Amino acid sequence: MQFQKEVEILAPREKVWKFIWDVDRFIACVPGCKEAKTLEDGKKYSAIIVEKVGPFKVEFPTTIEVLEREELSHIKAQASGADNKIGSRMKIDLDVNLREQDNKTVVSFIAGVDILGKLAALGHGIIKRKADQVLDEFAQAVKKKLEGEA
Amino acid sequence: MLKRFRLEEPESIAEVSELLGRFGDSSKVYAGGTELLLAMKEGLVDYERLINVKKLKGLNEVNAANGTIKIGALCTHHQLECSTALKEKLPSLVKLEQNVANVRVRQAGTIGGNLCFAEPHADPGTLLIALGATLVAEKSSAKREIAAADFFVDAYETSLAADEVLTEIRIPAPTANSHSAYLKFGYLERPSVGVAIAFEQSDKSLRNVRIAVGCAGPAPRRVEEAEALLEGKSTAEAQRNLAQAGAIAGRASEAISDLHGSQDYKEHIVGVLLKRAFQSAIS
Repeated sequence: MQFQKEVEILAPREKVWKFIWDVDRFIACVPGCKEAKTLEDGKKYSAIIVEKVGPFKVEFPTTIEVLEREELSHIKAQASGADNKIGSRMKIDLDVNLREQDNKTVVSFIAGVDILGKLAALGHGIIKRKADQVLDEFAQAVKKKLEGEA
Repeated sequence: MLKRFRLEEPESIAEVSELLGRFGDSSKVYAGGTELLLAMKEGLVDYERLINVKKLKGLNEVNAANGTIKIGALCTHHQLECSTALKEKLPSLVKLEQNVANVRVRQAGTIGGNLCFAEPHADPGTLLIALGATLVAEKSSAKREIAAADFFVDAYETSLAADEVLTEIRIPAPTANSHSAYLKFGYLERPSVGVAIAFEQSDKSLRNVRIAVGCAGPAPRRVEEAEALLEGKSTAEAQRNLAQAGAIAGRASEAISDLHGSQDYKEHIVGVLLKRAFQSAIS
């Protein structure tokens, strides 16, 4: 499943970039994400992602690896996790790009999400819709947090 | 494999509500079990307690009196497809029930369980919305009616509070001029699209038109914008507007691309089924 989102933030690029690397504050913007830890500064992180569709709950202990980093403009990361209780795995390939536009910073996210295992029984459409909602909420939370500080 | 759980056997709605309130997310109401037990066997959900409501009295009857058809939430699909009262008053619901899933599901599965599980591809919710049904939700000290159109919040989510139990479905009894139909289409076990229409025909014009779409998106939805194109119109005028109404209903279905078909395909089928449902209702 491929997702693409773009969010305009009324803040300079440096501030947005700094925010992304402030793991605690950044992770707080990811819906259902908790217990974020830095395993290797700037390279490897861990977190638990909890999501719910009606009565179906998943809890993915997730490792996030930063694969590429281009100062102030680009991050490529991969997150993967497994919910052994429900027998499902998740992998997210994330590309984040920052560009300046007037007095704003445009952040674009391209996410490739793969869900494998029993969770897929819920149906691809339902999962895709949920993932889309999560990414929307995340983009809006980042915007709100950064613009709120302006 | 089904994990161990405790089976509670309350004897009243108040007791069911109290148990739900006390044990919260670790408990679930259990009636026919046709969807819940499958999900539990698959390990998709895990409950410490199932609250068996099958032995509660008075919730498995169909009554038609004083202008309202009352269906107990514990009525099985089979009971509804065989109900004499429904055959006489609401043949569209009987036809729907005759085609729910398969004979095993219809024997054990209940209408209440079907509505509360809110599986996106379920049939009854769509027709109940078109029929203007209300659902009765009860808890220890209170009782309220929820319009069927407001009951379905999202995929697998309803507007029932955590300690509420669905006890009854109330449908305004159709008059001699009432018409309704539900049609579905799919090539997998569950339908890809379901469309329902209900209206009254008076003085050669259509009144109280209600259109609902289901299965295509996350939850069944009423489509008032499409209804407006048929309301007050003659049969011939309504037929001319059906294509436009179908296109609106297709978009309103919030169709999701999945194994059951692409978004475009489902939106198209909504339009086709609306035309056919209208013909079926009027004939």
